[in-house]
Amino acid sequence: MRNLRLAHVIEAGAWLSLALLLFISSFDFSQEIEIYKFGASAWPRAILLLIAVAAVGQLFGQWLRGEGQGSEMLDKASDDGAALAAQLSDHNNPKWLAWTFLLMTIPFVYMNLPGMTGEWLSLDKSGLHQAKLLTAAVLITIFLLAIRGNHIGGMLTLPLLFGAFIQDFGFYFTAPFFILGTMYLMGERHWKNMIMVGALIMGILLALFVSLLYVGLPTGNISPFYEFGTTVVNLLQ
Amino acid sequence: MDTLTNFINGTITLFGDPLGIFIFFGGVIGGMLFGAIPGVSMLTLAAILLPFTAHLSPEHGIMLFSVIYCTGVYGGAITAILFNIPGAPENAPTAFDGYPMTQKGQAGKAVGAAVTCSAIGGTVSAVIMMIATAPIASWAISAFGPPEIFALVFFGLAVASSVGARTFWKGWLSILLGLLIAVVGLDPVGGIERWDFGMPYLLAGIHFIPTILGFFAVSEVFVQVEKKAKGSYDAPKVSVDFPSLAELFAQKIAVIRSIVIGFFCGILPGIGATLAAFMGYNEAVRWSKDRKAFGTGKLEGVVSSETANNAATGAAMIPLLALGLPGGALTAMMVGVFQMHDMEPGPLVFLNSADLVWVVFSAMFFANLSILLIGFLETKTIINLLRIPFQFLAPLILLLATVGAYAVRGLPIDIVVMFIAGIVGFFLRRSGYSVAGIVLGLILGKIGEQTFAQAMQMLHFEWSGFFSRPIAITLIIAGMLTLLNSIYSAFFKKST
Repeated sequence: MRNLRLAHVIEAGAWLSLALLLFISSFDFSQEIEIYKFGASAWPRAILLLIAVAAVGQLFGQWLRGEGQGSEMLDKASDDGAALAAQLSDHNNPKWLAWTFLLMTIPFVYMNLPGMTGEWLSLDKSGLHQAKLLTAAVLITIFLLAIRGNHIGGMLTLPLLFGAFIQDFGFYFTAPFFILGTMYLMGERHWKNMIMVGALIMGILLALFVSLLYVGLPTGNISPFYEFGTTVVNLLQ
Repeated sequence: MDTLTNFINGTITLFGDPLGIFIFFGGVIGGMLFGAIPGVSMLTLAAILLPFTAHLSPEHGIMLFSVIYCTGVYGGAITAILFNIPGAPENAPTAFDGYPMTQKGQAGKAVGAAVTCSAIGGTVSAVIMMIATAPIASWAISAFGPPEIFALVFFGLAVASSVGARTFWKGWLSILLGLLIAVVGLDPVGGIERWDFGMPYLLAGIHFIPTILGFFAVSEVFVQVEKKAKGSYDAPKVSVDFPSLAELFAQKIAVIRSIVIGFFCGILPGIGATLAAFMGYNEAVRWSKDRKAFGTGKLEGVVSSETANNAATGAAMIPLLALGLPGGALTAMMVGVFQMHDMEPGPLVFLNSADLVWVVFSAMFFANLSILLIGFLETKTIINLLRIPFQFLAPLILLLATVGAYAVRGLPIDIVVMFIAGIVGFFLRRSGYSVAGIVLGLILGKIGEQTFAQAMQMLHFEWSGFFSRPIAITLIIAGMLTLLNSIYSAFFKKST
């Protein structure tokens, strides 16, 4: 195995799998174009081939020399401290990674499950909204329980959850919770400070984007969140 | 003479418009602040502002980014010197001697040298840029067709892959990932759907604004969250004894050497200010008779690094404006600003939008000069701002990015795409990949595929046609040699 570690093999495997899967799916658009004999798939396939070559080359380099394959100067120039921070916080272990990736599926469950359930049960609009509310409540509870002891995982998932909820519950309702959640996950525990800073951030954003620039932020789809969002917009504009 | 007249006209246009003045000073101060605050960078600010430039005129949008570029490169020096935390990678070598100077109670001297030398390096570079860009662009109009532009894209990516990430392979994989993202959507020749997986959203391709916001602003917050879990810093006492004129004059050789190094690093696509700063510092050590003093608080270390990184800023605009090719992350975002106004950077900009070019040139010149004036005044303010805990800044950055991602097309899915890009960027960065490489690949991928298709049609699908075009074949051979050298170094050369 020389200088090779399991992580190197997994890394190369991930790149090669990506290249292989996309190569297979490239047959969906592998058509010739009248004025361009290489067709629509030549360029993407060339990129996939190069990815495979680079992944194998990287693996061979790691086998030969480990991680130290570049000059010290280039290494320093490219270092932004991210790798060291990951190493120090022991967030490279498979257990943490598996747990965190599982946590990050929560927002995607919300984005798909209510719609699928609604279709399966032939729910009307209000039934679908109730399904969404119920799913959101369950998923938030699971999220709050799952992030105990994994605040970095929580920090990676929270924005996705915010992004998933924003269409249904609106920016104006979800953003304050997002602000407080971010501060909490980053270690802030003084509730007074959190509320004051949260109010200041919301104030700045609403004044700048809603009152001054008239940016139409999502107001939500579900009652009473939609009414709340539109009331805020009407008050500010 | 023409250059001077154009410069004066550009200056009058810039400062004759109240909105222009407001944007200029906003960019100067914003660039310095975001450059200085650890956990964010000028790229974070640029990414957040990118969607809103659609509401500005092209002149104001590009001018804003060029000003942020100049002052942002300087801003990171303050925290590098005072806290040993470079605001951006291009300020990392500044910390090697800047922070030891702070520990010796000479912080003011180090900050003063950084302010002065950043201004000198940037201003000289801006002057050369004004003189050189127009002739290069006018030559490029006749000399550059699709084969040459494709060859230049290839050369730029080959160089960028060698320097952007922890290893050559990671650099190359970063760029290829960017090229792959650029493929999603309709193909540029026949309009055939590629990798849309039945999702209407993907038909138009993955929009570059949410992607850029995710890779830079969001992933940066995630990285800081992880760093914060393990570290903290104490604010040092700051003195205000700036260096004397005699002390600065003694550094003249270091300044001139670093301007030359910085300018040549800046003009090559993909290298930019970061490597300029490291090379400037390395050369200062190599040429010095007292090499051991470097790293212990030597003024020449700060001077060399800060002159070189700012000298790269003006030079980086030459390939962008003369040839339409961005050399780094921020210039890649400038291409985004052009595209949002249905414009393409390149030699024709000089013919069609000469006013824009000269407003930008004037703004960059005055932005570098303003480092000298505002830099001294702003240092104290920045030190106070650094006391704001990052947990209070992070939600603001994430929400600004959210508004930015949503405002472009009014699609909530863009917010999710942005956060996914942030998570991908976070995991790739901690594994040594380069998010700047991904973005460069994303922006150059579209230009590359389009010009490749045009070139092949033009050359009747004969690869040998490239040999009949000296510029194209020279660039392709140079790119191949760069790649082969990097592969050889990756496998066989000892670390230096």
